[in-house]
Order: sequence, then C-alpha cells, then structure tokens
Amino acid sequence: MIINILIGIGVALFGFVLQTSLGGLNRKIVGRLQKRHGPRWYQEFIDIFKLLSKKSVSHGWIFDFGVIMALGGIIATAMFMPLTSSFLAFEGFDNFFIFVYLLAVGMLGMAMSASGSGNPWASIGVMRALTTMLAYEVPFLIVVMTIINVSDTSSLTGIQLFQQTAGNNWFLIALPLGALVGFIALMGMLGKKPFETYIAPAEIASGPMVEYGGKQLGMLFILHEISVFIEVSLFVHLFLGGASSLWIFLIKYVAVYTLANLISNVYGRFKIDQVVTFFYKWPLILAVTQAVIAIYFGWVI
Amino acid sequence: MASIEYLIIFTVIASLVAYLLTALQRFVGSVFTIFATMFVFVSLAAYGFGLDLETTTRLLPNLSFSQSYLGFYFVIIIAFVYLMVSFFHPHFIDKYPYKNSYNMLFLLSLSGIIGAFYSDHFIQLFFFFELIIWTTMFLIPQGKSQEAAVSYFGFSVFGSVMLLLAVFLIYQDTGTFDINQGLALLSTNSQIFVFVLFILSGLTKLGAFPLHTWLPEAHGNAPHPFSPVLSGALVKLGAFIALLALVRIAPMATTIPAIGLPVGHLIVAILGSLSIVFGTLMAIREDDAKKLLAYSSMSHGGYLLVAFSAFNEFAFAGGLYHILAHALASAGAFMAIAAVARATGTTKMKELGGMIHKMPITYLAYLIAIISMAGIPPMGGFISKWLIFQAVISRGMILVGIAVFFGSVGSFLYVFRPLAALFLGQEFKEYKHVKEAPLLMLIPTFIIMILNIYTGILPGEIIAYINRIIIENTSFQTVTATAFTVTATYGTLHAGLIALIFGVGVAIAFVIFILLKKSRKVDLMNTYTAANFVHDEHLLHYSVDFYAPLERLYEKHSHWMRTFYRALAEKIKEIGKFGKSLLMSNHIGNAILWIIIIVIFLIGGGLL
Repeated sequence: MIINILIGIGVALFGFVLQTSLGGLNRKIVGRLQKRHGPRWYQEFIDIFKLLSKKSVSHGWIFDFGVIMALGGIIATAMFMPLTSSFLAFEGFDNFFIFVYLLAVGMLGMAMSASGSGNPWASIGVMRALTTMLAYEVPFLIVVMTIINVSDTSSLTGIQLFQQTAGNNWFLIALPLGALVGFIALMGMLGKKPFETYIAPAEIASGPMVEYGGKQLGMLFILHEISVFIEVSLFVHLFLGGASSLWIFLIKYVAVYTLANLISNVYGRFKIDQVVTFFYKWPLILAVTQAVIAIYFGWVI
Repeated sequence: MASIEYLIIFTVIASLVAYLLTALQRFVGSVFTIFATMFVFVSLAAYGFGLDLETTTRLLPNLSFSQSYLGFYFVIIIAFVYLMVSFFHPHFIDKYPYKNSYNMLFLLSLSGIIGAFYSDHFIQLFFFFELIIWTTMFLIPQGKSQEAAVSYFGFSVFGSVMLLLAVFLIYQDTGTFDINQGLALLSTNSQIFVFVLFILSGLTKLGAFPLHTWLPEAHGNAPHPFSPVLSGALVKLGAFIALLALVRIAPMATTIPAIGLPVGHLIVAILGSLSIVFGTLMAIREDDAKKLLAYSSMSHGGYLLVAFSAFNEFAFAGGLYHILAHALASAGAFMAIAAVARATGTTKMKELGGMIHKMPITYLAYLIAIISMAGIPPMGGFISKWLIFQAVISRGMILVGIAVFFGSVGSFLYVFRPLAALFLGQEFKEYKHVKEAPLLMLIPTFIIMILNIYTGILPGEIIAYINRIIIENTSFQTVTATAFTVTATYGTLHAGLIALIFGVGVAIAFVIFILLKKSRKVDLMNTYTAANFVHDEHLLHYSVDFYAPLERLYEKHSHWMRTFYRALAEKIKEIGKFGKSLLMSNHIGNAILWIIIIVIFLIGGGLL
C-alpha cells in the first residue's frame, strides 16, 4: 500500500513536471506564431518557485484552508491517473467518475478560498467557473456514457485496453462525433479561449485568483498544472486509445495539448451566457446523436 | 422485548405529556421531547435491525403489524432525523406562536411514522399516513407562512385520495387489505391502474414534477428545525410508495427493447429527470437559503424516481443508499441554516455574509453536508450517485442521463451559493454580536457530520443491509461489497481508498503550505478594488443574483408551473362560484329555475 501511494505521488509529480515544461514550451510556440521570441521553456518553473518563495497576505483561515484542500484534492485525483494501460498506482480503482468528482473537491476548495477572500471579483470569477462547468460537463459526460456503454467498463485502463485490442478502433475514429464533443469540452475544461471567461484577464481582474499572491498563488499554479495534466490525460485515454508505453503517452499528450493551445490562440472570448448556450446547442446535439447511434443502433466503426 | 404497539402507545402518551410539560415550562417540555424521541430511536435501533420487535397486539386489537427490512430501513432513518432535530427544540420553542402544541404534534407525527412503516394492512397504512399529514399540517404554519400549509395540505389530500383509490382497487381485485398479499395477487389489468395511482400519490408526497409546487413553499416556510424533518425524512414517504409501485407491482405489460424497461418505468424515469432538471434550475435562482435546499430536495427526489425505475440491483441499491445519504445531507444542511437563522433572524442570502467567522462549526457542518449532497467523494452522496449512474449507463437511457448529469453538476452550483453568500464573503457589522450555536445544537451537528463521512467511507455495512432488502423484496441479484468497496456493472469503487488518498493529498499540500514563509494576515476589507475607495462591506459582498447571467437564460420560463396551478385554482374557484350562485343565492330567478328543474324532473323522471 505504501508503495502504491508512493507511485501515486510519483505520477502526480510527473504530471506536474510534464505539464509545466510543456506549458513553457507552448508559450514559446505561441510566441513564435506571433513573431516574438517567447520565454524560455522553463519559465513556468521560475514563475512558480518565485511565487512560492515570496511573502504573501492571507484573508483568514478559510482563505488558506481552501487552497490546501484544493491542491490536496487535485493531487489525490492525479494519483489515481493511469499513465499507460499498465502503469498506474491503484490497479482496478481507476474509475472514470473518480476523476470527474474528485477533481470537483479541488475546485470546491478553490472556490471556497476565493470567495473567502471577500473580493467580489473573485466571487464573480467563481460564478463564471461553475457556470462554465455546468456547460461543458453535460455533453462530455454523455459522450463518456456512450464510451462506457460500448466498452463495458468504466475503468480508464479498461477503456484503453478495449481500444488497443485488435479489431477495435480508437474512439476518436469509432465515435467521431463524440470525440469532437470531447475535444470541445476539453477546451472548456482547460479554460482555453473561447471558454476562458472565468479567468478573463483585464475584464474581471483575473477572476478567482484576484486576491492571491506569494505561496497561495504558487500553490494554485501547481494546482492548475496538475489539473491540466489530468484533463488532457483523460482525453488521451478516452479517445486516443490510451498508451501502451510511456513514450506513446508523451507523444499523444503533447499533441493534444499543443493542438488545444494553438486553436485557443485564434479565438476571442465568449460571454458567459454564450458559453452556456453554445454547449447546450451543438455539442449536446452531437453527443446525443452519437449516443443514439452507438447505443441503440450499435454502429461503432 | 419491545413491541411496536407499545412504542406507538408510548409516543402518543409522550406527546400528551409533552403538551402539559411544555405548557408548564417550555424548556423542560422540550427536553422531555428529546428524551422521548431518543427512547423511540434507541428501542427501534436495538430491536429493529434483526427484526426482533414484537408484532402481536394486545391493547390495540384491531391493528395488525408486521416488520420488514424495507420498512425498518425507512423508519430508522426517519426516526434518526427526528431525534437529531429534537435537540434543536429547547432553543427554538420560544419562537413559535403555539408552543405547547409544537412538541405534541412533533411526537404524534413520529408515532404516525412508526405505525405507517410497520403496517401490513392498507387501511391502517392510510390512517397513519393521514396522521402524519394532519400533524405536520399544523406544524408548518408555526413558521413563516400559513399559506404554505394550505398548499401542502391541498397536494397531500390529492396524494391521499389517489392512495385510497388504489387501496380500494386492490381490495376489489383481490379481496384483501393485506399489503403483501394484495400486491402479489393483483391481476394484470388492475396492476396498471394501481401502478398509476400509486405513482401519482408517490409523486405528490415526494414533491416531484409536476406535483412539486407545495414543496418549496412548505419546506421553505416551515419552522427552522422542522424543515430538516420535512426534507430529510417525510418526503421519503413518497419514495416508499413509489418504490412499492415500481419494484413490487412493476407491471411488465409492454417493454421497450432498446433499454429493456417497461413503458411505465420509462415514464416515471422521465418524470424523475424533469424533477431533477426543474429542481436544479429553480434552486440555482433561489435567494432564500431554505427554499434553495427545498428545491434541491425536489431534484434529489427525482434521483430516487430514476433509481427505482431503472430497475436493476445497482439502481435499487443506489436509490436506497441515496435515501440515507440525502437524509443525512439535507438534515445537516437545513440544520446549519437553522442555526444561522436562529442567530440572525433571516435566511435570505442577500442579507447575510461572513458567518464563517462567527460560526465555524456550523460552517463545517454545512460544508460536509453539501459535499455529500453534490455527490462529491469522500461522502455518502457520491456512492449512491455512482451506483445510479451505473444503472443509467447500462440501460442506455440517454435523455435520463442528460438530466442525471445536469443535476449532478448543477448541484455544485446551487449548494455553493449559500456557502459563498451566507458563510463566506464580507463580514457584516450588524452581525457582530452573533455567536456560535449553543452546545445542545452542536451535538446533532457533530453526529450528522460523522455519519456523512461514515456513509462515504464505509459503504460495506449499509450495502449488506440493503442486500437483505433486495432479497426480501425483489428478484435481483445482491450487490457485491466489502467493508470499503462496492462493485457494480462497470467496475469497483474503493471508497476507503479515495478518502485515504484525499487525506494524503491534503497532507502533502499542507506540508508545502507550512514549510513556506508565513503570510501576513490582513483584513477582509483590505482587497483589490481597482483603485476605488470602498468603505462599506455590503458593497464588497457579491451575493445578490449570484448566477445572474445563467438565470437570465431561463428566468422567463421559471414560473409556468406555478401559473398553471394558479389558473387551475382560479378555474376551480369559478366552478365553486357557479355552484354557489345556483344554490345559495336568494334571487328570484334562481328560485324559478329550480322550480322548473324540479317540475321537469317530476314529470320526466319516470321516463329516464
């Protein structure tokens, strides 16, 4: 058990390092797109460690407790994440719903802490974040429902193995409409444009994060990197056939995140009610169509 | 050896004693109520688990009782909520207009509960149901509004009439009032009618769509300590009736091949889905914390309907687990709000803020309760929702799935709202005097906190008990579970492991936090305000219309059910007016009209 927990912590740490480097690399890529040099690839590490080393202010115990609960919840979620179809900390317990709902503990902690700061901008940011969540989760969960129904397991490794068996395609090909919805929902989860309404720099003063600085902000940065790792890995495992080795996982991971980031950079920002109406229009229709085709007619390529 | 008969007689006598004692000394009467409720709960818990209660009757010869695992499951949960709430009485009794009757009616309704779930006779069941409705009808108006009681009573009467009609149909068809025999012997034709009537009755008592308008009114306006009973315990009566219809009667007339369910079950599942969506949307835009939680009970009632109509062992177990989890969560949340309301005198979220600094324990109780209510691990609500999801997915019920997932994510939104507006945010000057709830009120708060966590970490014992109910009432397989794990269609959930890993994660985060430089504590008003000087904490508290952009998308449509019932009530009133004008007016024209009618009848009556 101790060994499993240590492996889990290792996975979380791996996710943090991977995503933080990739995030830095992506800042460089975006820089090049915009004809700038862009920062060095390890810039994000520098940012985080600088923040962690600085002295900060606190708005009461819930402000600190929320941050701890948030980071704790996210680390716990990452510890359950399989990297490949055979490499995971707790075999047999990588149930899909854990990732969605344990992630929510982290988000609840962060929302609590932000509201506890007493700044109305933070509360507005939290409100927008929760509204965005209500928008993207439902189409996404309908697609996942289809995947679980088709592959007959809700374990992430099980879903990977199902796609890797001969004769079955990746769900990207088998359920193309679903994968499209999944990718749009992923953009929402990552808070990429056009769905970055809840951060909305220059509009609501960075949303939930407005009051943070120093170590609290540093911990929220770590939280952000790990939660991106969880969300992108979910997409890789659900739609791209998972990975049979760590290298394949890395390639797929980098590809998905970079693509999301590139798409994000050509969009503007939706208003929050547009986010909701958008997700409840096309993605939901596509998700339901896909579910009907796959579950009732059994047409899976 | 405790006997059901004695328990009922004891509770009735205790209610009279409580009346007298409360009349003499309010505090003593309320403490007596606590002990009376505790006695009932302890005797039920001591003998009921193994079905060791005496069922023979000596003093009430015309009544007959029997015990079942299913009945006991409901009765123990409800008695527990009653016990927890009774601890609040000594501190609330001064706020009621009719103090003596409050304790009496409270205990009387408890006796109704015991009678109802241990009855094996339909008429007796109906009698005890009516006892519950009549006693609670006089409890509700002791809160904020009398109209709420009228609406509650109106809908309850509709439900009761449907139940009575079903009982008569069963009697006509089988010749018996015995519950088990009656349900078993029903012929296929009457099955469908009885099913529909039972479902209508269940929907009313559960407050599910489309018979829900009484629920937010009654729950929101009831006395503060009685709302947990209404929401955590009494709506479960509806779930019980719906369960009888969906699982015990279960007419299998026409089955839909794609999802393998009978039409009736699918319709109920869709009604349940509508309850979930409606409850969620209405809860999101509600400003009164208690009404918000009331709408959330409506949405959770929808989950129960979906669970019992998905008709397999996992859904059934999930539904029963959800009854327990939601009873604990909603009792916890309502009790926290009651504690705040006692201290501040309001439940309106826009008037409150920063309560966490005054009432940290109440805040913690609310936090744990809503984590369970939103179905987030490591609390009980997650396990029950997880089981229900499994069933919905394996049946391939897509539309129901949309509702179930929408309700699940939507619950994050509405449960967060009181958290942000009422407990967090700026601290208001007018509540400087507020203190943490008194010790007597913290006892049940702590017990419920512990149980909320217990149901989320150790599902094994509870699932084992539910398995007995499954064997007793259905032909399903039992659900595999060990102390910490539950296994369902699509895999195994290790509840203990999730809690452990969450603990590990928090420990890591805590270590990171504590190792870094200590931060300087600043005032709540000392925040970034974009260079504006804001002097009033009310201006820095974001709580009015919290989800305004989302609400704007549907607020136009939010009143249509109420408008519908208003219009219906108007129409009924008009019919009444018409009748009144025919019969009660002393206008000469009416007299002539009646004379003509009577003459026609006398002449032509023979021909008919």
